[in-house]
Amino acid sequence: MISLKIIEPTKSPIDDQFEHVIVPGVDGDFGVYEGHTPFITKIRPGVLTLYTGKKNQTVKYAIHDGFVMVDNKSIKIISECVESKQDLDEKRAQEAKNRAEKRLNSSNADLDYKRAEMALKRAVARLKVLHE
Amino acid sequence: MANTRDLKNRIESIKNTKQITNAMKMVAASKLRKSQDKIINARPYANYIDVMLRTLKMRNKSNLHQILNDKIENKKEILVIVTADRGLCGAFNALIIKEALHYLKDKSEVDLICIGKKGYDFFKKTEYKIIEKYLGLFNEMDFTSSKSIAWNMLDRFMNKEYGKINVLFNEFKSVIQNNIVIKQILPIIPNESDVVNGTDFIYEPDENTIVEELGRKYVDVELWRMLLESSAAEQGSRMTAMDNATENASDLIDHLTLQYNRVRQASITTEIIEIASGAEAIKQ
Repeated sequence: MISLKIIEPTKSPIDDQFEHVIVPGVDGDFGVYEGHTPFITKIRPGVLTLYTGKKNQTVKYAIHDGFVMVDNKSIKIISECVESKQDLDEKRAQEAKNRAEKRLNSSNADLDYKRAEMALKRAVARLKVLHE
Repeated sequence: MANTRDLKNRIESIKNTKQITNAMKMVAASKLRKSQDKIINARPYANYIDVMLRTLKMRNKSNLHQILNDKIENKKEILVIVTADRGLCGAFNALIIKEALHYLKDKSEVDLICIGKKGYDFFKKTEYKIIEKYLGLFNEMDFTSSKSIAWNMLDRFMNKEYGKINVLFNEFKSVIQNNIVIKQILPIIPNESDVVNGTDFIYEPDENTIVEELGRKYVDVELWRMLLESSAAEQGSRMTAMDNATENASDLIDHLTLQYNRVRQASITTEIIEIASGAEAIKQ
């Protein structure tokens, strides 16, 4: 078991034990079990999956930015925005996705490409959590 | 001596004032609670970012990233002055302005960022240059607006426009005690309080990116914490100020009621004397 802390600036922290955790890092998703090598990385927008250890039961969160700090007994996630299934609104997420896609497909010269792309990724992450 | 009607009117109006000050006290108390809760929530986040930055700074002493490097070449600096948007909170704003003037007295290359209307109203009349102002922020406090201020500061710092950024704000100690502090926010000085374990981490993508991103987050959350502290301190001082005002109103009402009764009795006595002496006159 590994102890997990999710720390956000405006909410009280989540603190619990899990069997293993899958985190979307900037250079790809990675899984963390107990005894992982000490590791710090950035998070990209994606789905954070927590395995409780009971019959493959999982808890999923949409996560949009932040950092992970892993040492061999614990994992700490520092993020400004972590959303559980209850926090999300399917219609809004779908609309945000459509909007971002439309913007990316338009041939507007002063389009903030990076921003639109991030918006799309966030929307996709939210929808993935919702469709579990 | 004043007549009874005037006194009665005055008593009524002071009673109204008392009700208002009392209500303001209650409102301030509830807002204080909210700010305190937010401070508590922001604390662990700030702590962990601090720990991570400290670890990074320890490891890499020779070639520090600009955001952590406290050997400053650029002499220009920014002073961020955090005051309240409203008055009626005792000496809260006056004390900060006084401290700011004291700080600015023997410095030449300091520009100002004013957060809060009271500070802006004062400094716009002085010769200091205000490069940015943020008013009405404390009504609806959220992390996003604090973040945009932090980003603006970071941009100016990263462009090497300014070499140092200090924040002057009121730290919340207790309802009756506030503490005015100047804290350097950029370049970052991580707290040296507890010992960092010597674990060697693997960094992804690379150390510099991590330092910069973490540094940005650190500034975001530090500014947020300072604004919350200031808001809590403001509400605290408003609470005490309004409590005093309510008490004064009560004293005044007591005093005036006494006077009112005295005047009323005096007029009754005069009337009786008039009637009695009139009756006397008829008898004779």
